[in-house]
Amino acid sequence: MISITHFLVVSAIIFCIGLYAVLAKRNAIMILVGIELMINAAILNFVAFSRYDKINYGGQVFALFAIVLAAAAVAVGLAIILNVYKYYKTIDPSNINELRD
Amino acid sequence: MNISPIVASLLVVVLPFSAFVIQAILGRRSVSGNVALMAISLSSILSAGCVFFVVWTGEATLERITWFTIGTKSFSVGILLNKLTVFMQLLVCIIALPVHLYSRAYMKGDDGLHRYWMYLSLFCFAMLGLTISINLLQLYIFWELVGFASYLLIGFWFTRDAAVQANKKAFLINRIGDLGFLIGIALLYAQVGTLDLVELFGKSGFFSTETAVHDSLQLLDKNSAWITCAGLAFLLGAMAKSAQFPLHVWLPDAMEGPTSVSSLIHAATMVAAGIFLLCTVFPLFNETVLLVITGIGTITAFSAAIFALGQYDIKKILAFSTISQLGFMMVGVGIGAWDTAMLHLATHAFFKCLLFLCAGAVIHEMSHVKAHTNLTFDPQDLRNMGGLRHYMPKTFLCMLIGALALSGFPLTAGYLSKDSIVVTAFEWAASHGGSYFIIPAALILVSVLTAFYIGRLVFKTFFGSFSFREHIAAGKPSLHEPPSMMLWPMLFLAACSLFPLFGVQPLAYQQTWIIRGFHVEVDYPAQHAAHLFIPLGLTIGAIVAWTVGWQWYVKQKYPLRVDNSWVQWANRQGYLNELNDTLFVKGTLKLSDLLYAFDRYVVDGLTKLVTWVTQRIAVFAYWVDKHIVDGLVNLSANTTYYIGHLARHVQNGQLQGYMGFALTAVILGILYLIIK
Repeated sequence: MISITHFLVVSAIIFCIGLYAVLAKRNAIMILVGIELMINAAILNFVAFSRYDKINYGGQVFALFAIVLAAAAVAVGLAIILNVYKYYKTIDPSNINELRD
Repeated sequence: MNISPIVASLLVVVLPFSAFVIQAILGRRSVSGNVALMAISLSSILSAGCVFFVVWTGEATLERITWFTIGTKSFSVGILLNKLTVFMQLLVCIIALPVHLYSRAYMKGDDGLHRYWMYLSLFCFAMLGLTISINLLQLYIFWELVGFASYLLIGFWFTRDAAVQANKKAFLINRIGDLGFLIGIALLYAQVGTLDLVELFGKSGFFSTETAVHDSLQLLDKNSAWITCAGLAFLLGAMAKSAQFPLHVWLPDAMEGPTSVSSLIHAATMVAAGIFLLCTVFPLFNETVLLVITGIGTITAFSAAIFALGQYDIKKILAFSTISQLGFMMVGVGIGAWDTAMLHLATHAFFKCLLFLCAGAVIHEMSHVKAHTNLTFDPQDLRNMGGLRHYMPKTFLCMLIGALALSGFPLTAGYLSKDSIVVTAFEWAASHGGSYFIIPAALILVSVLTAFYIGRLVFKTFFGSFSFREHIAAGKPSLHEPPSMMLWPMLFLAACSLFPLFGVQPLAYQQTWIIRGFHVEVDYPAQHAAHLFIPLGLTIGAIVAWTVGWQWYVKQKYPLRVDNSWVQWANRQGYLNELNDTLFVKGTLKLSDLLYAFDRYVVDGLTKLVTWVTQRIAVFAYWVDKHIVDGLVNLSANTTYYIGHLARHVQNGQLQGYMGFALTAVILGILYLIIK
């Protein structure tokens, strides 16, 4: 019997993988992928918790909404990465450190 | 002539000065002395005709202009003509004139003759200016000039070591007196606020006896300590200039100058300046100062007479005689009868100048003998003379008149003036009583001693037999009368040394025009018996002294051995020079050695110690600064730096780093929430 706990564990694992990707990857695209993974972990939580909704399908609708938003965010993020690449000729975030003191 | 006395007296002063300037410019070209002679002749004529007779018979007059102003006080410079000043001025002229004439012959052929005339004119200028100064400061300037001119003249033969020593000594000792004078001026100015002689001592001046009437002026207490000090300071000035004991030591040494100079400066004029000063500032003195003046005068008169007894140098005898007579004048001032002092000053000026000129003539001829015979002896030493009356009778006559006048024989001027002082001193003592009689007694004794030593001089010089007779060629002796250029001034002065110049009464000093002219009131009664017995006693004493001298020196019945210790003592001037040498010269040297050592070891030592301590402190302070103060600052700076450094690592621009931190913070927050 698959309970809500299983969903939450899977979601946590995906979130952690995404977090790892964001923190450790040396490629901006992979970081963007990590962000997508974390968003998807959150969306999975929406869907899992929608079982207890007072209003029907509220969580699933919010999940669809979030997916659309994520797609838009990815579009924006890729655009930024492209611009960064044009400027720095690299997308390794450790080389783009002009925000430091 | 219609020259006002003021203008005339100014001319009298300026003429010798212009002579000095002209001769200074001409230099070696003016050896005749005509310029100086002309200047002093004109001065004499002007002084006598246009100044003296006008002022003496008429009113005192003055002229002053503002010299400079300090704050609200202005100093005036000008000419004061009263009886005292015109009398003094005339006296200086009248004495200077024959000396100038005499010098033409006496100094003939000297190498530095142009200097001689120049200095002589400078001296006359200074002395004449001194007499008519209206301001004490102005008087002081001339006073210094007189001292300076005297310095030049004493050291005229500057190649002689003794002359150089003598002028140095005269200058230094006069400096002591000048200092006293200056202190006196300063004290007087501090007390009264003016140095103008008229404002000070005039009819309505600060020190006038009529001050009580003019109550608009502040009344001065003459007995206040400061006025006494001022009086004593002026006395010190006069003591050095007028060669009073113990500051007289310069005068015998000053005989190193030419004899004509000695006669002018050191017998008649410069040394009289001190007496003149005392007469000028006479109203300043209170009883105490007057008593000191009397005491000093008596000691001087007595000690100098004693020293004169033991001298062999003809000029030194006369020098000590001058000092002794100046002591008489001091006593005259001290007992309040400064008119007698002025009378004695005048008569003394004539006969002492005469004596010096005669001595000069003798020395002149003795030097001729020395040059002719190629002998080596001192031409001034009495022991080398004797019997000179056969060779130079006119000189002998003049010298005799001078000597008689000095001894105070009747019919001479010296009789009048000396008796005036002794008699007045006796009256003064009679009114004070008791131990005050020491003063007239001492004066009488000194008078007798005076007669004796001048008799000795005359006898040893002109009587007996000449020591070098065999060396003089019989036919054409090199020893003869001096030239007429020297004789005439001597004869003129000899005439002036007799009584008619001073009064028609040969025996009564009160009748002399000088005493009557000055008209000084003394506050003690006249003793009529004294007027009879004292002159009589003095005359008898003088005759006895001359007789004894005749017996001793002419009849060769000399009772004392030559090396008698008293004679030695008198000859060495009471060892006063040696005493001065030990006390002041050696003392000063010792003191300076001591001070040098003190400076070297104590003062320098202290300085070095301070330096060393400062250095050590500085090193310590450097260490503290470097290690503690800087250390603290650096510590805080470095601490801040390291903290900042730590924080800086966080902000490394690594996007993922920032995220890691953010995550860490969130986790920490969650942990906090869980644990709480």
